[in-house]
Amino acid sequence: MSTTTKQRSILNRALLAGTAIAGLAMGTSQTLAADPIVIGLTSDSSGQYANSGASDRRGMLMAIDEFNAKGGVLGRKIETVHIDTETTPATGSRVAERMISRDKVGYLIGAVSSGVANAISQVAQKHGVIYLNTNSSSPTESGANCHRVKFVWDGNGANFAKAAVKNTIASYGKNVIQVTNDYGWGHDTSAATKALIETYGGEVSDDILVPQGTRDFTAVLLKIQQAKPDIVAAAVGGDDQKALRSQVAELGMGQDYAWINNQQDWPDVYGLPKENLFGVFGTTWYYGLDLPGVDEFVAQYQEAYPDTKMRVPGNVFYNGYWATRSLLEAIEAAGTTNNHDVIKKLEQLRIPAEVRMQHDDAYMNPNTHQMQQTVYLATANTGSDDPDDLFTIVSHSSPEAVADTDADASCKLESFEDTPVNQP
Amino acid sequence: MSAIQPVLNESLGMEFVTNLLPHLINGLALGLLFALIALGFTLIVSVMEVINLAHGSLFALGAYLAMVIIDPSLQNAGPIGLWYLGLPHLLRYAIALIVAPALVAVVGFGLELCLRRTYGKKKEYGLLLTFGAALVLEEAIRLTWGPVEQFLSVPKEISGAFIANGLIYSTYRIYAAAFGIFAIVLVWLFLAKTPYGAIIKAGAHDSEMVRALGINLPRLQLLVFGLGAALAAIAGIILTPIWGLRPHVGVDAVIPAFLIIVLGGIGSFWGAVLGGLLVGMGVAITGAYASAWSLLSMYLLLILVLTFRARGLFGKKTALEA
Repeated sequence: MSTTTKQRSILNRALLAGTAIAGLAMGTSQTLAADPIVIGLTSDSSGQYANSGASDRRGMLMAIDEFNAKGGVLGRKIETVHIDTETTPATGSRVAERMISRDKVGYLIGAVSSGVANAISQVAQKHGVIYLNTNSSSPTESGANCHRVKFVWDGNGANFAKAAVKNTIASYGKNVIQVTNDYGWGHDTSAATKALIETYGGEVSDDILVPQGTRDFTAVLLKIQQAKPDIVAAAVGGDDQKALRSQVAELGMGQDYAWINNQQDWPDVYGLPKENLFGVFGTTWYYGLDLPGVDEFVAQYQEAYPDTKMRVPGNVFYNGYWATRSLLEAIEAAGTTNNHDVIKKLEQLRIPAEVRMQHDDAYMNPNTHQMQQTVYLATANTGSDDPDDLFTIVSHSSPEAVADTDADASCKLESFEDTPVNQP
Repeated sequence: MSAIQPVLNESLGMEFVTNLLPHLINGLALGLLFALIALGFTLIVSVMEVINLAHGSLFALGAYLAMVIIDPSLQNAGPIGLWYLGLPHLLRYAIALIVAPALVAVVGFGLELCLRRTYGKKKEYGLLLTFGAALVLEEAIRLTWGPVEQFLSVPKEISGAFIANGLIYSTYRIYAAAFGIFAIVLVWLFLAKTPYGAIIKAGAHDSEMVRALGINLPRLQLLVFGLGAALAAIAGIILTPIWGLRPHVGVDAVIPAFLIIVLGGIGSFWGAVLGGLLVGMGVAITGAYASAWSLLSMYLLLILVLTFRARGLFGKKTALEA
């Protein structure tokens, strides 16, 4: 064998080896690139918020399907794991721990109960896993219980109270009785409402605490009648609220006092007779808003979920959808799944009104991690025969007008140094 | 000062009584409804010594079936369907009050036939089987009628509100409480004044002796379980217009039912009635004056009673206490 031939042979072998190594390396990198991003859906399937949890989940899944249809995020498909959080904080904590350590989820999304959201977010912060609180509206979620990894997508009790309290006191009188669900969200919302009532010259003569799981409100309604207030400010949620509404409507008490019902989640009222929707209440979105994109969004929902009994999407679905979509867009914008980079993108998030299908641009408050958005004040739409068209939008307030200013003072986000790096 | 004080005290006392009275009436009505929930539960426990954890699901199933019977989707079902929908609402409600419990009794029969394999074995088997049945029934309801809130419509003759002494009361609630009394008396008459009742009571006391007397014990157990299931369904039909109707509404019924029969003494008919009344009164009074404690009050009452009387108010003495 000549020297030239030998050199060629060596060169060929080197090329072959190089090709093989490169091939292996590429293969490995392709495998890595093809690894799906796993998202843990921490929504309730049982308990007081089972119905809302299902709606929340449908919203998240529709956003994920949209991204998967165009190839996923950063070339990676998105997969989901769902475990029932049972509307119970202890379960929420256990589910989050299991999803992170065993199912290796990269992100956690979902909550309706503030107790559950708080429990999940503590676990998420410990592991540096980004968590989206989609639908829990306790002011403490973006206040005292805020975390660097947690982002809150719903309006909170303070936002909704700001939209309603001032006008109601001016129109109906100063004597207010509060009816409060005896758990975190109820107390936080009630406290925020009380502060506003006092700011606008009202007086809270009584705060009636009702335990979660109350089905019979007769004692409460008798007490309200005996006290004869001008306004009743209720912070009662889920199944308890359905029972309260039905019993108030039966007695015809909906017209006797001005009822402020804080926020009204769509799954809690869908299917209720319209006479049960007395008083005014807040919401972040309604399918009947006369804004560009709303009809298309509703059609997309109906195509994705043709069998659901809830024929039109509501605020809970909307929040679940937007939280998930915004997270996936933030990952794409960051060009990485690194949690610190994605958090920074989410902190700078700003979505034009026409894209969000609201009246004002929405933006993330970087100090509290709560989405600042338009808040709508609504009441029953008794003028329509359409059983789905439940609300009449009375007014809408800009994010600045209803901003929860107390949250900025009470929220102390952990530093990035204290937030573990996580790159799923 | 001394002349004014007694008048003032008397006036304050009168005001307190005037304020308290509506809550006492509410407590009485609520108590009768709780007793109604516990009736079927106590019947099955006393005769068969089975804690029927499916009681709540049978309660819910009864309400859902009644809803379908009262307001069926028969618009396209031809002349018979239209004829049925043309019947007065009150009549359809009355039909539902009979037919829905009868249908649930059939479900109860099926459950009892499944339970037979657990007789004579550890009590946990029966407990697990009825727990499983509760889950299956709840899921079947969810699949059939969906997870969203439904409504059991009430005829206008028994709905609405009336004003008494300046306060608004629910007409339906008065009807429900009156129906509770009616059902309690009816079940008591059946147990105390009919031969079937005598056999059931004898079966509860000494099943071996009943069998030795030539009475078909399995058939008796089938009958009792069906009757218990039908009573659960009746309670569901009466209660859900107040509580609302959703697949997991049974959970709201089974816990108080269990608590009430332990409070009243397991196996005691009047114990269950008294237990229901005490729980209702406790929930209503605390609901008025310490509302945060209203649901907890029933558990505190149970602890209080069991501390001083471990067998419940009217429970039988055990061998250890004899």
